[in-house]
Amino acid sequence: MDIDTLLHKYLNGEATVEEISQLKAHPEFASYLKIAEATRKFEAPNFMDAENLTAIQNSIKKQPKVRSINSLQRFMRIAALFAVVIATYVFVSNRDTKIVTQIAEHETFELPDHSEVTLNAMSKITFNKKDWKKERALTLEGEAFFKVEKGEKFQVNTPQGSVAVLGTQFNVYVRGHQFYVQCYEGLVSVNFNGNDIKVPAGSYAQIENNQLLALTKAEGTAPSWVDFESSFSEASLEAVLNELERQYPITVKNKTIAENKFTGSFTHKNLEVALRSICEPLQLEFKIDDDEVMLYAKNSN
Amino acid sequence: MADNVCSETTFNKIYAQWGKPIYNFIYFKCGNEDQANDLVQEAFIKLWQHCTKVTQDKAKSFLYTVANNLFLNEVAHRKVVLKHAQLQPRKVDGQSPEYLLEEKQYQQKLQNAIANLTEAQRTAFLLNRIEGKKYTEIADILDISIKAVEKRMSQALAALRKEIEEL
Repeated sequence: MDIDTLLHKYLNGEATVEEISQLKAHPEFASYLKIAEATRKFEAPNFMDAENLTAIQNSIKKQPKVRSINSLQRFMRIAALFAVVIATYVFVSNRDTKIVTQIAEHETFELPDHSEVTLNAMSKITFNKKDWKKERALTLEGEAFFKVEKGEKFQVNTPQGSVAVLGTQFNVYVRGHQFYVQCYEGLVSVNFNGNDIKVPAGSYAQIENNQLLALTKAEGTAPSWVDFESSFSEASLEAVLNELERQYPITVKNKTIAENKFTGSFTHKNLEVALRSICEPLQLEFKIDDDEVMLYAKNSN
Repeated sequence: MADNVCSETTFNKIYAQWGKPIYNFIYFKCGNEDQANDLVQEAFIKLWQHCTKVTQDKAKSFLYTVANNLFLNEVAHRKVVLKHAQLQPRKVDGQSPEYLLEEKQYQQKLQNAIANLTEAQRTAFLLNRIEGKKYTEIADILDISIKAVEKRMSQALAALRKEIEEL
């Protein structure tokens, strides 16, 4: 064995007696052994064992421990934070957009594809901005006039059925059991109760209780309500007054006083003028008392 | 978590076991008693602060590493002055005064020679000779290879011999 290896073996306390004498036989290594042995008798001075411990204990009582979290916990915390942020983003971005109008309120807005919608009073439209590119679809309750940009199918879903178009202008009225669709441009397809009818430009489809009542010719380029006027053709007094209640913050008593059908229109801008437009053709009179309107037959005293 | 060093009993046990070796380690490097005592305190305070992530079997290497880092931050080095172990039993009584004098002179020379070693050589050499550590343990503490420990030991012995025998 190499003598240097023997020396290291000796210093590591692993040399045998013979190996030690082998080292001692060599003058240079004999003096190394002497040095090594003599050094063992030394020690470092003045280790202040008790004083150090006291100082350490005093110091650690003052200092709070560093709270360490292991890397998994740290990762989980960051992950949880991201999850919350992502969930919030997904939730917010997936939320449906809702547009609601109150009494006497119109609202015109653009859909993501620049199609234009005008919402009549007391109506609601719901759609999803994010899904719009995939599917042009919205839900309507009440009445709205649509100017649809050309493109893929555009669908209006209502509790009474759906209206599908490619690109056109049309009005949808869906209140109670009534579902009216008037087409001003292009062609719309109206689906209700499993039936499918085509409503071409200049036509007006009236569906009530899931039955097609009439498909009639209609004039104009936009529904009159867009210009703040409600028009009726052979409508019941009740339906007319219901619309009146949507356009003015009033309650009409005895809506069923007359059975005559009403054809005509009323303005949304002046209650008295509107009431006169409704009452005169039907031989009725009216009295306004704050937010209540009373109707009675002419000369009925 | 039961294995960490946060309990006071465990912590004190670790101090009893490693306080002195850490002190020696620093003293071998710098020869400054005050500094060595201070660094022992600092190293153990750091151990306490990080007790939740240090297990009992990691405490030793944590202490050596911290002590070494703290040492590197300090500059005050003094001459290493070792003292004779108090409890070293005399093997032979009634030795001649000449012999005793000679031995004393030899120790004085050795003492000076050790002080003149480089810090790297001295630390490795004294860890082995005074602390009785094996090469593998020294390599571990100093974060060097066993070959490097061998080299430092050989160099230290050669330097000591040269100084003692030629002066």
